[in-house]
Amino acid sequence: MADLEKLITVAKETVSRDDVKHLIGWRQGTYGFRVSPHFITEPEEADKLIFSPLCNSNLVNYLTWVEKLPVPRGQEADTRKVALMVKGCDSRAVVQLLIEQGIKREDVIVIGCPCEGVIDLAKAEEMFPNVLEQVEARWDGEKIVFKLPDGEKAVPREDVLADKCLRCRYPNPVLSDVLLGDEVKTEGNDDYADVDGMEEKTTKERWAFWEEQFSSCIRCYSCRNVCPMCYCEDCILDRLNPTWINRSNNISENTAFHLARAFHLAGRCIECGECERVCPVNIPIMTLNRKLTKEVREKFDYDPGTDPDSKPLQASYLPNDQENFIL
Amino acid sequence: MNNKPRIGVYVCHCGANIAKTVDVEAVSEFASHLPYVKVARNYAYMCSDPGQLLIREDIKNEGLTRVVVASCSPRMHELTFRKTLAAAGLNPYYLEMANIREHCSWVHTDRDEATAKAKRLVYSAVAKARLLEPLTEKEVEVEPSALIVGGGIAGIQAALDIAAAGFKVYMVEKTTSVGGKMSQLDKTFPTLDCSACILTPKMVDVASHPNIELMTYSKVEDISGYVGNFDVKVRKKARYVDMDKCTGCGACAEECRLRGTIPNDYDMGLGKRGAIYLPFPQAVPAKYTIDPDRCLMLTRGKCGKGPKCVEACAVGAVNFEQEDEIVEFKVGTVIIATGYEIFDASKKPEYGYGQYPNVINGLELERLVAASGPTGGEIVIGKGDKAMVPKEVAFISCVGSRDDSVDKPYCSRVCCMYSAKLAHLILEKLPEANVRIYYMDVRAFGKGYEEFYDRVRREGVHYIRGNPSEIFKRGDKLVVKAEDTLAGRPLEDEVDLVVLAVGLEPRQDAREIIDILKLSQSADGFYMEAHPKLAPVDTATDGVYLAGCAQGPKDIPDTVAQAKGAAASALILLSSGQVKVQAQISIVDESTCRGCGFCVEICPYGAIELVEINRMGNMAQVARVNEALCKGCGACAAGCLSGSIQQRSFKDQQILPQIAVLGAMK
Repeated sequence: MADLEKLITVAKETVSRDDVKHLIGWRQGTYGFRVSPHFITEPEEADKLIFSPLCNSNLVNYLTWVEKLPVPRGQEADTRKVALMVKGCDSRAVVQLLIEQGIKREDVIVIGCPCEGVIDLAKAEEMFPNVLEQVEARWDGEKIVFKLPDGEKAVPREDVLADKCLRCRYPNPVLSDVLLGDEVKTEGNDDYADVDGMEEKTTKERWAFWEEQFSSCIRCYSCRNVCPMCYCEDCILDRLNPTWINRSNNISENTAFHLARAFHLAGRCIECGECERVCPVNIPIMTLNRKLTKEVREKFDYDPGTDPDSKPLQASYLPNDQENFIL
Repeated sequence: MNNKPRIGVYVCHCGANIAKTVDVEAVSEFASHLPYVKVARNYAYMCSDPGQLLIREDIKNEGLTRVVVASCSPRMHELTFRKTLAAAGLNPYYLEMANIREHCSWVHTDRDEATAKAKRLVYSAVAKARLLEPLTEKEVEVEPSALIVGGGIAGIQAALDIAAAGFKVYMVEKTTSVGGKMSQLDKTFPTLDCSACILTPKMVDVASHPNIELMTYSKVEDISGYVGNFDVKVRKKARYVDMDKCTGCGACAEECRLRGTIPNDYDMGLGKRGAIYLPFPQAVPAKYTIDPDRCLMLTRGKCGKGPKCVEACAVGAVNFEQEDEIVEFKVGTVIIATGYEIFDASKKPEYGYGQYPNVINGLELERLVAASGPTGGEIVIGKGDKAMVPKEVAFISCVGSRDDSVDKPYCSRVCCMYSAKLAHLILEKLPEANVRIYYMDVRAFGKGYEEFYDRVRREGVHYIRGNPSEIFKRGDKLVVKAEDTLAGRPLEDEVDLVVLAVGLEPRQDAREIIDILKLSQSADGFYMEAHPKLAPVDTATDGVYLAGCAQGPKDIPDTVAQAKGAAASALILLSSGQVKVQAQISIVDESTCRGCGFCVEICPYGAIELVEINRMGNMAQVARVNEALCKGCGACAAGCLSGSIQQRSFKDQQILPQIAVLGAMK
């Protein structure tokens, strides 16, 4: 489990450095089970940092989301490092960014948090509805303990953790400069049962399922915006010439959007599940992503975002790569 | 004058090839009504002189600005028609072709449907034609020199040919002497020429030719650049002997404290040398080298009371302070002639290679029968008391060839013949010996090969069809367990010596050159040629050619022929002095490129690199295409996630309207 005292100490030290621009971590949100990203530049702000089962958001996309404003003549661009707190899954996003040269290793300080799983907000809110006060939470063995207005409640972890955490293969950061606390045991074993379930359906059933899902899409692009791997300067989905995806919200364009998004993540998705978490209409986006991830793992024995020295999957070739799926 | 495109459409009959299945009249009539089409004609053979004249006349008289030819595959005649356009003063890239032969008339039988499809293809081409942009082909100067990697017979031949044509040649050889595998052979099949006798003069020529700069004991570290302009970096390893001073007298080797203790690679480890050595007497250059892994001075810093070689050398050539030297130079073309390695027979444990001293491979026998070999040409197995002259000899062919179990499905092409040759040499030296060859098939396909095969059979070499399953020891003898599949009976054959006819395999370090030059490998692991039939010495990288066994197993005549072919290809480039590069290349939109480098990895030609640019004060990494290297394959454009790479003449904005009209037509 992550050591909170160490977190505060490390954070204070880090933001005091001249070559660090800011540190990105989590702090308590404004209500209920919510947490907010916490950008700190001064040591005293570090006291508000938390790391708890509530910290379900992936902060890595803030690394590439920084707007690079034009630098006035005579001034230097700000090239200071950014420090960032990551869970196991988040750290894979950092590694994948390194593989894709989206960031440079020397530009980030990775504060690794061994993680025993984060909550699924929907599950928690169903269990404890209408909590307006700030809730705190901590891990306690097989339980998650919530500090609610009416006292502490311990809940079995499998009842409240996100599905991705229950099958997590990377609870410990795969890359970090500082590790907060001891590594936790890897219990997860991902057998892609959800994908298998989808594959067992007939083509017709699958189409009917996704048609229903995509028809509810409001094209808010939250899934794209939250994804740490979607960081093109100019997304092809926004372009008008050529117009790959029309702006109208209909089943045809929605399907095209979701397929394009999923395929752009083939061999790159690190399964943090952020797209599905933020979807306001609950489209099971990860099922699409995980179908591709499963293919990538089975066909090419490749796990995106695990080895910073590896080459991107689409850009690498081995003479013994399987070809039996080529018609 | 308005800028609207004026398109001419020309529908070819291709004799009956197209006209038989496609109503060409109907297609040209249809085309004449398409947007921006000013002229639409059909003609028997568009590629003929009168056909081309039609186009040229229309360009002049009708003021055409785009031309669509509906005929065969662009691979066939795109260049022809580009020249037609250029001759009429139009940019040659204002041409678009609709393939209504391979894609239509040849693959369909129904005339109505084929005609309808031809119309669609023409419409699609017209839709793209109006969006075509003029392109210019750049020319780059060719550096008048060649690099040859590998100093075997392939490299030697290519070097001599290019040097004879008057161009500078840099030859880089990894070992201390040129000559390669051929220098290890005793005699060559089928003529039984002494290998050294025919090779040595060429080795000497390489060293003495004024146009050839020979770098032995050296390694290519890096090659960058592009056709006509390669920058080469070579590491000359320290020999610890001053090449300019050494006379090759050999006094140092006589005195070396380790004399006769280190297995000599040249003799397949059968002979011994000292720490300062010349691999073989005819070595070129005839300069001694100190083995840095064995020499006492270099490993321990101490050699008795002082190194004897230094004492022995009258000219003071030994220099323990020598260091590796990096040499850099420019060349216009590169020939890869890195050769092969022999299959490691210990990967077939059933044959007992490495386990029984009297199971040897073909190259080891080659050294044993060679007069310059460790036994002076006497076929003796073992040493001292255990020395034995074999009487019963068995050859086993296809060891590491045509064998899926060791991942070598290919035929090594030389083993049948070298077995026959070695069998002959054994009988020549040991007339009392009984020699049999276990084989699957005998492949004697070259000039004089079948005759030689007949000859050795007449001499008494016994051919047994059947691959032995096992070799084991029984008393002093080895037992070859096999089945004579022609007679249909199992055999247990007691012999004194087993010779494994090991196959040829790609060099273990083949990857190094691939990483440097981005070459491709074929399934067998050898370097891949650009086309197996029509471009057997070219590679996918312009200006880089292949010679010899680096491309695949070959015998000496084929190797020399290919080396001469590679030299001729290189000379085309060198003597023309200039090379035109692709115009339909990829371009990067640096404002949207995110610098992920996928394209760099994907590019089969190594044409893309990442560079830092200043984006309004912020440094950003973006991809940049080397125009001389890009072949316009479009792989990068397809792989680019942000859609920042477009290929000229195949831009999204040009292709999408082309596709759109296909959907629009009912």
